[in-house]
Amino acid sequence: MSFVEDPACLSKSRLESDLVAHNVELPPAGSNKEAYVALHLRHVDQTNAADFSSDDDQEHNVAGEDPEGEKELDPSALTDEDLKALLFKYGVKAGPILASTRAVYEKKLRHLLQSAAEGELNEAENAVLYSDSDEEDVSEGNEDEEKESEGDQEKKSETLEPNQQQRKEKNAPPQKCDFSYPQCFVLSSRLRPCPPRNNEHSSKRNSKNALKSSERTRPHRSQIPAGISKVSSIAQHSGLRSGVPSGSQSVVPSSSSSFSSQAFSITQMVEKESWSAPPACSHSEPEHWSRSSRLDNDIEEGDIIMGQSVYYTPKDSTSVKEIKDPVKDILKDLLPDTKTSPTGIYATPRRPIKGAAQRPIQYAYPDTPVSPTIVERQDVARRLVPVYVQVLVFFALVCILLLIFVNVENTNSVVALLENVNQGPDGEEGIPVLDEAAGGDL
Amino acid sequence: MSSTSQKHKEFVAEPMGEKPVMALAGIGEVLGGKLEEKGFDKAYVVLGQFLVLKKDEELFRDWLKDTCGANAKQQRDCFGCLKEWCDAFL
Repeated sequence: MSFVEDPACLSKSRLESDLVAHNVELPPAGSNKEAYVALHLRHVDQTNAADFSSDDDQEHNVAGEDPEGEKELDPSALTDEDLKALLFKYGVKAGPILASTRAVYEKKLRHLLQSAAEGELNEAENAVLYSDSDEEDVSEGNEDEEKESEGDQEKKSETLEPNQQQRKEKNAPPQKCDFSYPQCFVLSSRLRPCPPRNNEHSSKRNSKNALKSSERTRPHRSQIPAGISKVSSIAQHSGLRSGVPSGSQSVVPSSSSSFSSQAFSITQMVEKESWSAPPACSHSEPEHWSRSSRLDNDIEEGDIIMGQSVYYTPKDSTSVKEIKDPVKDILKDLLPDTKTSPTGIYATPRRPIKGAAQRPIQYAYPDTPVSPTIVERQDVARRLVPVYVQVLVFFALVCILLLIFVNVENTNSVVALLENVNQGPDGEEGIPVLDEAAGGDL
Repeated sequence: MSSTSQKHKEFVAEPMGEKPVMALAGIGEVLGGKLEEKGFDKAYVVLGQFLVLKKDEELFRDWLKDTCGANAKQQRDCFGCLKEWCDAFL
């Protein structure tokens, strides 16, 4: 079975695609099929026939990207089975390769090959970049991946995409670990599975501190993250990488140096709020600063001390609560359902949109807080005359009208009708009355 | 809910039967003509192609583009129409 087809038999578009696949310059747009055939003969057939050596690379216009087997570069020359197998290697579960579907799958394979080739270039660049910035595990990981890929060139292209993704994933968490220590007590759950990869002491300390603080602040975590997670994410994205201390320094001017290594800007902000208000906490403040000064000296001491000194959350939480009470009371009057939050950030949940983002449609939503005007309207509606009162009034009016009618018109028929109606209870009385009335009138 | 056209709603409301290919959302006269030239004269033939491509969005859209030159919106409409039809009836 030969993979080589007579170029003259191929269609122009097929030749074009073959040339593109072999990274050969296409002839000008208006040229004949013969030009394509000639180019195809010159380049494609040579690559198919000759051995893969550097000489070939020099001859062709290939930009040095010819690491794979001949058949893999030319999807159109593959058999259906091979095409399917190749696509599967790239993670694409292809359906049946039929006449109508073949073109689409070939196109997809070409895309994958091109992206793999590009990824190869990026990999080299990234390896240089990452090896400089990251240490140990990450660089080792990179080297390992590079060694593996270099050793087996065919597999390189296949594993390139997943490697790239893995590498990116690997690089992302160390960076996150690096710069997430300001928000450790929020993201401590994320930090736990991610092992401290870096040699920097600060990050290690911070991760440990995070665990300890998380234990202490567990009751408060639920309240804090809602308000703080946003702040932390914003802080992270706003270029915290350049200087993690920047956030903390702005908050803690006096002891900036001490906190440069343990920058918990969020805790500082919480503490600042508590300190700014009132004198109740003033006594804690000097303690805080004194401890911080000790930190400078005792950096080499156990992590436990650092953890305790940096996280004053148990103390501060109570103080924060005391300070926040007067403020909270006002809000509690308005909205008695709000949970307490030490940062003073309150948020009521938004009513979920029915059916949006695949949310199941709830036909009964929790009641939203009702505004005073609506309450008034409801009260007014209640105070309007209820139905049964209206009915009673109606019957009363009817009775009154009947009595008037009877008194005004003393016709026998009307009286007789009335008497007949009242015959049951008033039978004997009615008739003598009737007789008297009749007799009296007549 | 989302912005589906009248054509889409009509197509998805009932089994396609022998509807012409132009009954598909996103396929008008021009595209319908091109598809018919290629042999896809009924909606169910296009459905067949859609199913053979395992209902994959990218592949189907590529195929549609290659076969009749549909633009992105037309591809999206046609894919959405067929997908919803399949969800309802297949």
